[in-house]
Amino acid sequence: MAQPKHKKDMVADSGHAGDYVDDSIRLGDEANGLFRIAAGIGVVGIVLAVVLGGGLTHQQFQHSYLTAFMWGLSIGAGALWWVTLQHLVGARWSVAVRRVGELLAHSLVLMALLSLPVVVPMLLGNDSLYRWVSHEYMASEHVLEGKAGYLNVSFFAVRCVIYFGFWALMARYFLKASVAQDKSGDTSLTARMGRASPLTMIGFALTLTFCAVDFLMSLDAIWFSTIFGVYYFSGCVLAVHSAMVLALIWLQRKGHLVRSVTVEHYHDLGKMMFAFTAFWTYIAFSQFMLIWYANIPEETHWYHMRLEGAWWPATLALAILHFPVPFFGLMSRQIKRNKTTLALGAVYLLVIHWYDMYWLVAPNLHKEPVFHAADFAAWVGVGGLIVAFVVWKARSVNLLPTKDPRLQRSLAFENV
Amino acid sequence: MAIASDINPYQGALKGDNAFAQITDNVSRIMEAPKPPRAWYIAMGFSLMLLAMFGASLGFVVWEGIGAWGHIHPVAWGFPIVNFVFWVGIGHAGTLISAILFLLRQNWRTAINRFAEAMTIFAVICAAIFPGVHIGRPWLPYWMTPIPNQMGMWPQFRSPLEWDIFAVGTYATVSILFWYMGMIPDFATFRDRSKTTVRRLVYGLLAMGWRGSSRQWHRYERAYLLLAALATPLVLSVHSVVSFDFATSQLPGWHTTIFPPYFVAGAIFGGFAMVVVLAVPSRQFFGLKRIITMRHLELMSKIILATGMLVGYAYGMEMFIAWYSGAIYEQFAFVNRAFGNYGWAYWTMIFCNVLAPQVFWSKKMRTNVWVIFFVGVLVNVGMWFERFVIICTSLARDFLPANWGYFVPSVVDYATLAGSFGLFFTLFLLFCRYIPMVAMAEMKAFIPEGHAHDH
Repeated sequence: MAQPKHKKDMVADSGHAGDYVDDSIRLGDEANGLFRIAAGIGVVGIVLAVVLGGGLTHQQFQHSYLTAFMWGLSIGAGALWWVTLQHLVGARWSVAVRRVGELLAHSLVLMALLSLPVVVPMLLGNDSLYRWVSHEYMASEHVLEGKAGYLNVSFFAVRCVIYFGFWALMARYFLKASVAQDKSGDTSLTARMGRASPLTMIGFALTLTFCAVDFLMSLDAIWFSTIFGVYYFSGCVLAVHSAMVLALIWLQRKGHLVRSVTVEHYHDLGKMMFAFTAFWTYIAFSQFMLIWYANIPEETHWYHMRLEGAWWPATLALAILHFPVPFFGLMSRQIKRNKTTLALGAVYLLVIHWYDMYWLVAPNLHKEPVFHAADFAAWVGVGGLIVAFVVWKARSVNLLPTKDPRLQRSLAFENV
Repeated sequence: MAIASDINPYQGALKGDNAFAQITDNVSRIMEAPKPPRAWYIAMGFSLMLLAMFGASLGFVVWEGIGAWGHIHPVAWGFPIVNFVFWVGIGHAGTLISAILFLLRQNWRTAINRFAEAMTIFAVICAAIFPGVHIGRPWLPYWMTPIPNQMGMWPQFRSPLEWDIFAVGTYATVSILFWYMGMIPDFATFRDRSKTTVRRLVYGLLAMGWRGSSRQWHRYERAYLLLAALATPLVLSVHSVVSFDFATSQLPGWHTTIFPPYFVAGAIFGGFAMVVVLAVPSRQFFGLKRIITMRHLELMSKIILATGMLVGYAYGMEMFIAWYSGAIYEQFAFVNRAFGNYGWAYWTMIFCNVLAPQVFWSKKMRTNVWVIFFVGVLVNVGMWFERFVIICTSLARDFLPANWGYFVPSVVDYATLAGSFGLFFTLFLLFCRYIPMVAMAEMKAFIPEGHAHDH
C-alpha cells in the first residue's frame, strides 16, 4: 500500500498567531484499496444474503436484511444526531473529530437507497415482513381495524420518503456547509449551522421515533410501547460513538490526523459509549419492567415471544452482554484512553447492538433463536456498503474542519 | 471571535485586577452584613406566615384524619401525591447541575450550583412530608422502613411506593453529602473572615479543619468527581422510581412505558424553572448580578426550552400511542384527559409547559429578567398541573360510569399546598443569609483570571 501523502495544511486559528496544525488531513491511495474491498464485500454480502435467504421477497432474507439495515441505519442516524448536537450546544472538544461524524451521517443517503429492498416488496403487496400489509390479516383482529389509518402501505411509503428525505437533506447540509468553510474560512457558516441545529434536532426526534415505530415496532402490529423510539435512539448513540472510534483509529494508523486527534478525544468518545450503555439499560429495563409488572396481555405477548423456550436464554444473554459486560468493561479511565482496548469496546458494542436488532426482528419469524447464514451475510453486506460509501465520499474532503473557528480549542483541550 | 458560546460569562463582568477578592466579598458580605436587605425580611415574614399555615393545616389533618382533604371515590390520590411528585421534581435541577453539568464540563454552573443544590434538598424535605402524612397515621412512617420488630411486620418490597423510600432516601443522602462537601472550602472562607466567636466556632466546625493545602484540594477534587459520577444515575433513578408508582399499575393514563424518562425530563424542566424563579430575585437583592450574570439566565432559559420540548414529545407520544394501541380504555383515558371535565387542567398544562417556554427561541426574551421570571413561574404552575392531570384525571373516570367522580380540593388541600411553599422559602431564605450562596472556590477556578494562559 502506498504511503499516504503528507500534506501540510495551515489551519486558521482563533487569534493565536503561530498555532497551526501540521497533519495529514487528506485520504491517499490507501482509501482506494479500502473502498474496493468494502464495496466488494458489500455487494457479495448482499447477493449472498439474497441467495441464502431464499430470494428478495423471502421471509428469511427480509428478516435478515431488516436486522442489518436497522443496524446500519443506527450509525448514520446516530451520526446525524451527534453532528446536530455539536452545533446545538456549540461544542468545542469535538471539532477535531466532527468531520468524521459528518461523513458517517452522510451514509444516510445510502441508507435511503438501502431501504428499497424492504419498502418495494411491501409496496407490491409482500407481507413476508409486516403482516399488516395483508388486508386479511388486518381484518382478522378487531383491534387492528382502527390502525389501518396508520398501518397501510401507501402511508408507510410516504413516511419513508419524509424520514430519508429529511435525513439525507440535513446530513448533506451539515457536510457541505462544513466543507465550504474549509475553503472560504467564513465563520458565519458556523453560526448558520448553529441556527439550523435546533429545528434539525426536533425533526430528527420525530422522524427517528416514527421510523422505529414503522420498521421495528409494527413487525408486531398489535404491540405498542411509548418508549420504543427512545429505545432505538439509545442504540443509535452507542453505534455512532463506536463507529467514530473505529474510523479514527483506522485513519490514525494510516497516518492521518495523528497530531490533531488526541487521546482526549478518544476518552470523551469512550465516556459517551460508557454512559449510553447505562442509558440503553435504563430504557430497556423501564420498558420491560413496566410491561412485566402490569401484565396486560396486549403488551406482554411481545415479551412472551422473547422469554419462552430457547428465546429465554437468548434474551438473558442480551441483558448480560449489553449491560454488565460493556458497563464494567468501559468504566476504567485507562481502558478509554488506550486505543487498543477502546477499539475492542467499540467493536464489541457494534456487535452487541446488532444482536439487539436481531432480538427485535428475529422473533417475528423464528420460534427459536436461529442464526441463519443470511443474517451474517446481510450484516456484512450492509456494513461493507456503508464503509465503501463513507470512504468514497471522504476521499474528496478534508478529514478535519480546518477553518472552524473553534478548532484550536478542540486541538488543545484536555480531560483533567 | 464572535461565537457566543465561547464567551466566558465573566469576560468583563468582574472589572479590575482583584476578581478573586470581588467574588469573596460579593458572597461573604451577605453573611457579614449586620442586617439582611429589607426584601429579605418581607420575604421571610411572608414565608413564615405560609409556614404557619402549613403547620396548622397538617396539624388539622393529623387531628381530623385525611378526610380533611378533598379525596372522594374514586380519586383516592389527590393533592398530597400531586404535591409530593411536584416537590421531588423540583429537587432534580440541583443534582443535575452539580453532577451532570460537571461531567459535561459546563463550568458556568459554578455560579448557580450551590443554591440549586440547596433548593434540591429543601424540595426533597417538602416532598417527604406529603406521603408521610398521607399514610393516615403520620406517627408511624418508620413502618415503611425495613426495621425488624416484634410485630413481625415487614414492608411490601413489591410495591413501587416502598421503592420510593429507598430512591428518595438515597437521593437525599447523596445530595446532602455533595452539597456539604462542596461547601467545605467556602465555610473555611467564612470562618477566616468571621469576627465573632460564635461565628468562628460554627463555621470552624463546619469547615472541618480545611486549610486549603494542595493535598486537601487534590482529595477534594477526587471526591467531587466520584460523587458526581455516583449522583448522575441518581438524577435519573429518583423520578423514574416515582414514575413507577403510576406506570406499574394497569390504569390507562398511568401505565405507559415512556413514564420514567418522561418524568425525569419533566423534573429537570420544573427544577430549572424553580432555579430561575429563585435566581432572579436573589441576584437582585443580594447584589450578585456580576456573579449570576445574564448569560447564566440565558443558558438556563435554553435548558428550559429544550427540556420543555422533551416533555412535549412525551405528551405527543402518549397521545399517539393511545390512538395507535387500538385499546378503547387507553383511547378514552386520553380523550377524556383533553376534552373531559378536567380538560381545563390539561390545557393549562399544555399552555404552561409546551407553549410558554417557546418564547425562549428569541434572544431578546431569554435575556429579559421579567420574561425569564414569568415563564419560570408559569412552568412551575404547569408542572404542578401535569401531576394533577396525570393523577386526578386518570382516576376520576373509572372503567364503570357508576364509579365516576369529580375531585374538588378542600380548603385544607389548598392550605397544605401553599404552606409547603412556606417551608421551602423559609429554608431557602435562611440558607441565603447564613450559608455561602455561591461556590466561591469553584468559581475562582473558572473565571478568566484563574487561567492566565487559557485559550
